[in-house]
Amino acid sequence: MRNLFVFLRERYFYLLFLILETISLVLLVNNNDFQKSSLFVVSNNLSGSVNSIFSNISEYFSLRKTNSVLIEELARLHSRIPEAFYVTDKNVFYKKDSIVHLEYKYISAKVISNSTNKRNNFLMINKGSLHGIVNHMGVIIGNKVVGQVVGVSPHFSWIMSLLNKDSRVSGKFKKNEQLVNVEWNGVNYRIGQLKEIPKHIQMVKGDTIISSGNSDIFPPGLMIGAIADFTITPDENFNRGQIFFSTDFNSLGYIEVVVDLMRQEKETLKSSFKTQ
Amino acid sequence: MTSRTVFYNIIRFFFLISFQVLILNHIYLGGFINPYFYIYFILLLPFDTPKWMLLISAFVIGICIDIFTNTIGLNAAASLLMAFCRPFAIIVISSGPESLIGDTPSLRNQGIKWFLYYATSLVLIHHFALFYLEIFRLNEFFLTFTRLILSSIFTMTLVMISEYLLYIQGK
Repeated sequence: MRNLFVFLRERYFYLLFLILETISLVLLVNNNDFQKSSLFVVSNNLSGSVNSIFSNISEYFSLRKTNSVLIEELARLHSRIPEAFYVTDKNVFYKKDSIVHLEYKYISAKVISNSTNKRNNFLMINKGSLHGIVNHMGVIIGNKVVGQVVGVSPHFSWIMSLLNKDSRVSGKFKKNEQLVNVEWNGVNYRIGQLKEIPKHIQMVKGDTIISSGNSDIFPPGLMIGAIADFTITPDENFNRGQIFFSTDFNSLGYIEVVVDLMRQEKETLKSSFKTQ
Repeated sequence: MTSRTVFYNIIRFFFLISFQVLILNHIYLGGFINPYFYIYFILLLPFDTPKWMLLISAFVIGICIDIFTNTIGLNAAASLLMAFCRPFAIIVISSGPESLIGDTPSLRNQGIKWFLYYATSLVLIHHFALFYLEIFRLNEFFLTFTRLILSSIFTMTLVMISEYLLYIQGK
């Protein structure tokens, strides 16, 4: 017993190091499951309030930019209202409630912390579960893709942006609806990588990539980016490409969270097939 | 270790956390280079800090940074490893007891060569652990390595600037 104490006294530095290092590694690994970690909620509220103070100050510096984004968005919405259409035949434009059903609803929120310089980048916004946000909702700015919700606390949400090693967005070519995957390799926050482009697709630089709507996260037709460069690889099954993101991830002020009102129905349908 | 030193270290602890969280975390040089200047706290702990205190304070400052960046455990693990290596680094770099004059490691007491070796080795250990724990895979080895080296240079620049300012002040 005495030897044990002597041993502990001599080696306590190594033991303490091992204990603390194990604790931090366990925390690190468990923290990948954001929603399960109660620590996350606590730290989320604390760091959320600090970050809100910071962004309340810094948002004044980007008011001009925010204004121009809002005006663009207003112009887009103006072009959608019924008065903007020239009505040729009443019967064609008559909408019946049972035919047109609202599928997507949008919650606007302010970005209070953001990064583009890490390998895995996240955003925090000032709305959370109290405002109806749940995990795996899509996040957009204007009609451009930003990322998806990965953690919520009552007042804040944690969003994985496209600039993340775990991010994989299903997109398609606007011209021929061919599906591709968009990922990010961690180098330049304006440039993303296109994976699994089928061999037979004829690409040109500048081809538009839009969201496919296959993943239940984003509505179809949102802008992801335009092809900046591509390589034809004769010895592989798919070609690769570079995509210039439409979204400027470094200047996100106000974003919108996409609420899919039919998500429950879609998931029930999917799971009913899985169980059989 | 006098109570004055303890007081200075506590002030430095809070100052470096707020500096890191409020300012440095928003700086991106060249798109993705981010300095981690808060480890200056661990570099400047007095020579006669008890070893358990060294580990505990490194762990606490790491966890505090983690809370604000939502990466619980990442900075804690890295700065803990750095604090663990600190006594060994001091022993390896110092040629004899005469190089350990003064209370805390500094440019003024130990000279530029000693301090450069000391700070560079510990900053590299910290950044190495931090960046590879963050990506947790090896297929982007060289890209991460570039980011690690560039960020280390940035952190080292900040450390040397503040050491130099203290050096002028002390003259």
